[in-house]
Amino acid sequence: MQAVERPKNAQPWTNLGPKVKLSSAITIIAPSVIYLAILLTTGMDFMAGLFTIFLPLQLLCGAWAGYYSYGKRGITDGLLLVVTFFLSLFVFVLLASVLWSVIESGFQALSPHFIYQNNVYVSGKTGLEIGGVGHAILGTALTVGISTLVTVPLGIATAVYLTETRDFGRGTVRTLLQAMSALPSVVSGLFIYSMLILSGWSGYSGLMGSLALIPLMLPTVSRVAEESLRLVPKDLRNGALALGAPSYRAFFMVTLPAAQSGIVTAVLLGIARVIGETAPILLTMTIANGTNLNPLQGGMATLPGYIFNYILLGDPTSIARAWGAALVLLIFVGILFAAARVASAPKKAKKRSAK
Amino acid sequence: MSVPTQRKLLAKPARTADKIFFAVAKAAGYSSFVIIGLILFFLSIRAWPAFERQNILEFAFGTGWDNTLDPAVFNIGPMLWGSLLIAAIGVVIAVPMAISIAYFIEFLAPKPIAKTATVIVDLLAAIPSVVLGLWGLGVFTPVGAHWAQMLGDALGGFIPFLSNDTGTYLRSPFIASIVVAVMIVPLISSVTREIFSQVDKEIIKGALALGGTRESVLRRVILPTSAGGILGGVLLALGRAMGETVAIFFVLNLVFDEYNWFNLLEPQGGAIASLILARFGEATPEEVEALLAAGVVLFVITLIINAIASYIVQKAQPWRRD
Repeated sequence: MQAVERPKNAQPWTNLGPKVKLSSAITIIAPSVIYLAILLTTGMDFMAGLFTIFLPLQLLCGAWAGYYSYGKRGITDGLLLVVTFFLSLFVFVLLASVLWSVIESGFQALSPHFIYQNNVYVSGKTGLEIGGVGHAILGTALTVGISTLVTVPLGIATAVYLTETRDFGRGTVRTLLQAMSALPSVVSGLFIYSMLILSGWSGYSGLMGSLALIPLMLPTVSRVAEESLRLVPKDLRNGALALGAPSYRAFFMVTLPAAQSGIVTAVLLGIARVIGETAPILLTMTIANGTNLNPLQGGMATLPGYIFNYILLGDPTSIARAWGAALVLLIFVGILFAAARVASAPKKAKKRSAK
Repeated sequence: MSVPTQRKLLAKPARTADKIFFAVAKAAGYSSFVIIGLILFFLSIRAWPAFERQNILEFAFGTGWDNTLDPAVFNIGPMLWGSLLIAAIGVVIAVPMAISIAYFIEFLAPKPIAKTATVIVDLLAAIPSVVLGLWGLGVFTPVGAHWAQMLGDALGGFIPFLSNDTGTYLRSPFIASIVVAVMIVPLISSVTREIFSQVDKEIIKGALALGGTRESVLRRVILPTSAGGILGGVLLALGRAMGETVAIFFVLNLVFDEYNWFNLLEPQGGAIASLILARFGEATPEEVEALLAAGVVLFVITLIINAIASYIVQKAQPWRRD
């Protein structure tokens, strides 16, 4: 039998004809050039022009390119592509604007002493040469750390409940957890305030703040942990059970190690979720200017609370401080996210030496 | 020779350690019930005096918030309406963008670009709301006011939504809605992306083979099969938008005395969560009760929206069930 030769181009549809290439190039370039020319000659407003001139022009071009390359059926395709790209780019521009403004304005306030000094002798109008967010970083670490200590075991146990048991309430619990993930953060703060502070069991303190973060962190941790536990093949667990292991040892010695990276991701994403929460902190803690490492007593600053306070003060230097703290906060969030991605990245399979 | 009596086969854990293990898991699973119950219980008993002093309907729909009057007036009507309005407009702005991004990542972009875009959208989801509030106040408000002014000048005469006689375009529901939209786009798009990724590729290929175009595949195949999940994601985002506190607090002018029914560009609006934050600092004891009552209203509304949403999302994701 003669061997069938594999075609050189295995994906013939990726080989676009000259018609398609030409019309796509025109579609991409022409509207921008025309719009730029109009913008430069008449000096009209960018945003107004974007929607009244550029977008219709681009739509027209897209429809023409579709018609030119594929005939009548291509028109709607061209329109769809233009709309999709336009809206997606719009979001990316918004995000870039947020990130860029934080980085640009934040760097003006950033300096070594901004990271480690506290704010004892600082008012809204004090220059940027003294004072910093050191106390707020410590406070954030403490409050978020305490809520992590409580939430992580609870969240993982909830994930175990959802994956390992056959209880009838699982569907409801899952729905409830997802509903909790959109719990207004201010309600969580009010809850701790009404339960513990208004009852006189405790004053405003760091511990109250970290308790208020728990309902916000729990859904994220348990959801991601559940996903990762679910990905562990059932056969592994069943094998352990068949070998005579009790369920708890099957879980701790087989399922949990297999899901380890997913659990780490769950913890990191949970921390990233609550590290920037402001409203519950403002309702349950007093924002202090000095360093306070006692979560049971006294005011304690956290980064979001610090940002909020200095925005409210409203002086140019205090706004600059807020931008600086926002940059520090975003850097922390970024580190957490990067760590989560590294942890959840699929590990390269180790080569077996002997098989 | 006797046959040994048959051992009873049990699906229940027999050992003590196993019993403890499953009991702990079960307790943790029910803890979410307990937390929701505790929130509802404590907020309600603390807020009860406020509900008792005023008719609950008047509290929820009346206007005015003043602790200097005697008796003090605490009604959250305009705030409640403002929350709904801002959340709804925010969702209307966010949905097309979110679906476009999900479609772009799932079906259009080559793999490396899709991965980068996913990271970027996730990053957008992780920006804390206080940072978005700072961005909204310092960077976006002037830009948004400029857009609003152009809209108002061009279309205000014909469309009542966009008319504005106050002379200023700052701190309006329009700006707050866009800030909220930036916040919920990643939420909707991540739910939508997950649903899109589970649409059967064979059906799509079949539709293409039958002569479908990109657009007809999206309209006839992808959207109908994923409509339920997208709806759930949108509702989830609606709940998040209603509970948004800090960002709205910075970019919106809270007006307690009258409803702003639909004038999006006028600098008056409301949001329950922001009301709580704005008034909490200097509140009288009576006012605190009213604020807690406002919290109860907010909590109940968001809980209902979210519960419906997550029910729909779960119905739309059968692969999640065992």
